[in-house]
Amino acid sequence: MIRFDNVSVTYRGGVKALRGLDLTVEEGEFVVIVGLSGAGKSTLLRALNGLVPATEGSITVNETEVVGASAAKLREIRSKIGMIFQTFNLVHRTTVLNNVLMGRLSAVPAWRSTFGLWPEKDREKAMQSLERVGIVEKAYVRASDLSGGQQQRVGIARALAQDPLIMLADEPVAALDPITSRQVMTDLQRINEDLGITTLVNLHFLDLAREYGKRLIGLREGELVFDGDIADVTDETFQQIYGRSITEEDLLTTETRND
Amino acid sequence: MTEISNSRPVRPRPKLRTFLVAAFLIVFTVFSARKVGFSFSTFWEMWSNPLWEKFWPVPWEWIFDRHNVVDPLLETFQIAIISTLIGCSLALPISFAISSLTTPNRPTYFVTKAVMNIVRAIPDLFWAKLLVTAIGIGAFAGSWALSIFSLAVMVKLFSETIDGADPRPLEAARAAGGRHAPSVSTGVFPTVFPAYVAYALYVFELNIRASIVLGLVGAGGIGRVVEAQRQYFRFDRVLGVLLIIFVIVLVIEQVSVALRKRLI
Repeated sequence: MIRFDNVSVTYRGGVKALRGLDLTVEEGEFVVIVGLSGAGKSTLLRALNGLVPATEGSITVNETEVVGASAAKLREIRSKIGMIFQTFNLVHRTTVLNNVLMGRLSAVPAWRSTFGLWPEKDREKAMQSLERVGIVEKAYVRASDLSGGQQQRVGIARALAQDPLIMLADEPVAALDPITSRQVMTDLQRINEDLGITTLVNLHFLDLAREYGKRLIGLREGELVFDGDIADVTDETFQQIYGRSITEEDLLTTETRND
Repeated sequence: MTEISNSRPVRPRPKLRTFLVAAFLIVFTVFSARKVGFSFSTFWEMWSNPLWEKFWPVPWEWIFDRHNVVDPLLETFQIAIISTLIGCSLALPISFAISSLTTPNRPTYFVTKAVMNIVRAIPDLFWAKLLVTAIGIGAFAGSWALSIFSLAVMVKLFSETIDGADPRPLEAARAAGGRHAPSVSTGVFPTVFPAYVAYALYVFELNIRASIVLGLVGAGGIGRVVEAQRQYFRFDRVLGVLLIIFVIVLVIEQVSVALRKRLI
């Protein structure tokens, strides 16, 4: 369903973030992407929904080409791809419900959504998404009044409101504490299993990757250096991906970090 | 890990450039003062002018007569309110078009920016004179002049606030497949709306003050009274009106500051 064919991304200024990437992801997979910061994890996800334009190669989502797609075509592709962010990217000065309704932007006519005239069925959809992540009681609370974990759940609900086929999660737990991190990862896992949404998650904690992933992809300096079943992954695999030995910093919880 | 060095750095020497800039400023100031014939003695002579005796006592009965001051003052308020409404409403879409974060495309950005720069380059007093000449003496011309003035101020302040807004919710809206206008209105507008209201209050405050000045060129309001009494050399009345204006501006400023503090 997702195909990267010899994809390269070069940013203005000449930084090569992806180099000749080939990758195929099937429907319903749960893929975890690891790599050092700057390895191209974020770029990979953003190239997939066209937030970052690929400079070379071809990316297809359900046979639709993303690279060089028109603005209208890109909106159509994005409407089926939910995205959640490291920093949650919520609008703090408005309600949780208004944030989740942003997931309905592609489905509602622009003249309605611009003036906040959301149709009843889209409000209902947003409420259902909030129910699925278990914080519907916060629907009319300002987003800024929520804790980090709750904010990320709103982020997930916003993505779910799109009725997505694919879910992209860019370091979804990097700003959260260990317990909340596990809750959010469990939410993502359950959504993948219950709704069959193909999920790609960037992580930098290796124990979380091993705990929740099914398939592991390793990036190093923009190149794909590992692609395989998480069951086959050993510490040596991680060392090979990172190009250095594994330290406590790479783990969410260790004996010495029980905070 | 690099080793921590414990030797203190040498204190940097003052730069030659600093002295050169200071010397230039001093020479330039003295030169300018000579050129315009500035001297402190004329400034003091001004205060011994017999003109000042004409300012006292203030004829309060005349000031508190409805037709003399209250009605023109109401007109000033009306001019300020209508101009704030028109200027700030127009400024809303223009500010979003002129901010690098939310502009729909480059041509719109450059054209709008160029037009607004021209509008702002012309001072409000000149707009007032122009409009008084074009559509006649009175509050109508004043309202138009101040609407343009409000628009210019508002666009400048508000577009810069939009520039500084958090771009990340906008990225989320785009990632969800949103079109430009609804993405901006849902992703950026709630963040900058309190600032918009605060600036509108500030613009109202400026308009009250400006509509006093605009009266001097025949654009209606309390300024007309000041100008008329000045021409009759009734400086006692002028002082009375100015005191009233001073109190009103002070009150409006305090209310506006208090309201704005609650908003941001």
